[in-house]
Amino acid sequence: MIEKTQIIINKLGLHARAAAKLSHLANMFNANIYLIYNEDKVNAKSLLGILTLAASVGNEIILQASGDDEQEAITAISDLFNRKFDEES
Amino acid sequence: MIRIKGKAVSPGIVMGKAMLYNSAKEVIRPEKISEKAIEKEVWRLENAVKKTQAQLKKIDRDLQKIMGGDSALIIETQYMLIKDSHLLDEIKIKIKNNLVNVEWAIKETEKKYLQIFNTIPDLSFKTKSNDISDVLNRLIENLKKGSKASLASQPGQVILVADDITPSEAAKLMSNNKLLGLVLNKGGETSHTVILARTMGIPAIMDTINATDSIANGDYLALDSISGEVIVQPTQAVVAEITIKSEKYQIYREQLKTLSQLPELTRDHHQFHLYANIELPFESEIVQAYGAKGIGLFRTEFMYLDSKMSISEEEQYLIYKSIAQNIFPHPLVIRTYDLGRDKSDGSASRQEENPSLGLMAVRMFLKKREPFKIQIKAIQRANSSGNIRILFPMITEIEEIHAIRGIMAETREELLREGKYPKKDVLVGIMLEIPAAVRLIRYLKDDIDFFSVGTNDLIQYLLAVDRNNSDVAYLFSPFHPAFVHILKEIRQEVAKISKEVTICGEMAGKCFQALMLLGLGFTNFSMNAMSIAEIKRVFTQIHYTHLRKIVSKLDQFSSRSEIEEYLTESLLRLYPDLLIRQRLF
Repeated sequence: MIEKTQIIINKLGLHARAAAKLSHLANMFNANIYLIYNEDKVNAKSLLGILTLAASVGNEIILQASGDDEQEAITAISDLFNRKFDEES
Repeated sequence: MIRIKGKAVSPGIVMGKAMLYNSAKEVIRPEKISEKAIEKEVWRLENAVKKTQAQLKKIDRDLQKIMGGDSALIIETQYMLIKDSHLLDEIKIKIKNNLVNVEWAIKETEKKYLQIFNTIPDLSFKTKSNDISDVLNRLIENLKKGSKASLASQPGQVILVADDITPSEAAKLMSNNKLLGLVLNKGGETSHTVILARTMGIPAIMDTINATDSIANGDYLALDSISGEVIVQPTQAVVAEITIKSEKYQIYREQLKTLSQLPELTRDHHQFHLYANIELPFESEIVQAYGAKGIGLFRTEFMYLDSKMSISEEEQYLIYKSIAQNIFPHPLVIRTYDLGRDKSDGSASRQEENPSLGLMAVRMFLKKREPFKIQIKAIQRANSSGNIRILFPMITEIEEIHAIRGIMAETREELLREGKYPKKDVLVGIMLEIPAAVRLIRYLKDDIDFFSVGTNDLIQYLLAVDRNNSDVAYLFSPFHPAFVHILKEIRQEVAKISKEVTICGEMAGKCFQALMLLGLGFTNFSMNAMSIAEIKRVFTQIHYTHLRKIVSKLDQFSSRSEIEEYLTESLLRLYPDLLIRQRLF
């Protein structure tokens, strides 16, 4: 299992479209992937789960993955965060 | 037991279970299920999910077309939510662990997420709760047996309760014989849905305003569209009372049917002719049983709407030919597509500010010729038995008639070349619906063989009243002096050029209105098959000479109420039995 701390840098935070992109990406990996924010831990493959976090810009969340492709998963997801979910050019 | 009042628009008495059509809101209650039923509930859920996904996908595609490119965020979010296997797993776990119906499991899941979202301080996330509710409600809607697609799979017949339904929806529902009766919140008396219900002999009540709020799916209803009332969950005493009334009504209907054998003569042997209006080809098989001597108006729009204009010449030819043979030797009048007005037929190429003054019927035909040309050709070709006539709606000016004649000559040439032209030409008629057309009659001796009066539209265009607008519908009266006058003018003008004229609107099927028309000298009436026997009963018990005398005095009156009152009173004085039906019930 690996973990990575990630800061949300896109203006809108984990709103619907970003959350949709995130869960879509997470579903491409075999690993179990979770997002941990405050006390909550949600499955990154569930759009609804991500939405319930209501994480906004500036918040720090932890990405957690376990499985054969955990490294690739964390790298790809972290990259999506850093690209600001491709919303702001 | 609740009583709901409405307007009785298609007579009859029936009792049966209610089915709400398109009903959005319904109270969801928890229902305990057995372990064995878990699998079935999960299966229902999965089916509804598939349906919901397909619907959202379609909405998304449609929206993309309109907005050009980007998906609508709301729909996209909802689509993602319904694809979220974790959400669905949660619902499934609720079904299994709590042994509840899937609807309740969905509601509980919705509640949980609404609570979570409502504690989030960030406003932009609050809107997410709408998405969740929306998509889950859509899911619940798709679980319903009564949703659009599955009426056909309903066991037994139902009384349909709806806010309003379009004529094409109504036609589909009626054609699979599942419909016992119809209760609508809205609906004007002359809407096409009502006309259809009457032809099919399906009792209907409209203008109930809030029937859909007071009636739940599966409620037992007594629908009495003699008095215009729906009784929800009637007591046994009321059921007994309604049953007796219904039997009486059946006897009365039977008596009317025996009338269909009588000759079409008034007591003083003045000849009249009663024809049927039909909308669907199969109706031609039943109208003669009601006493119709031919079809005075075959509305062809449904054929067009069902096929989205792709119906071929060959298909149409076969339909027209078989109806003409069914009805032979009586005439079959086929009206060409009357599209583009109050029917939601999708024929309009753009939004019009005043559709009823816009591009419709023959006007549309002269702009977009192909489908109409195919229709004309099919009609000409089908006339091998020689009893087919063609009728063109919404004629405004003589140029239109010349253009139509030109096209008919073309199609005739084509058929001759193909060796398909029968020996006889079809007779050509026009509808008198626009007041201006009445003034053209005298010039049409050589161009037109017969005329047909569309009373509803003629009143609408003469009085500038939309009969479906409840704020002004009171103005819509066949007894307005101006309308009575124009009827007289039509009668005289047509006689001058020695042609025939038929009254085709719903007016022909109403006792006092039909009597006024007979008194004005009209002898051909085409109406809903259901009304024929009743009109025949009335016509066969009066003297034409009396009627003429009464009607000749209409000129003295300047208001519709005076005319109506005078007619009703003088007729009832002479023939107190005229309204025997109203007395029976």
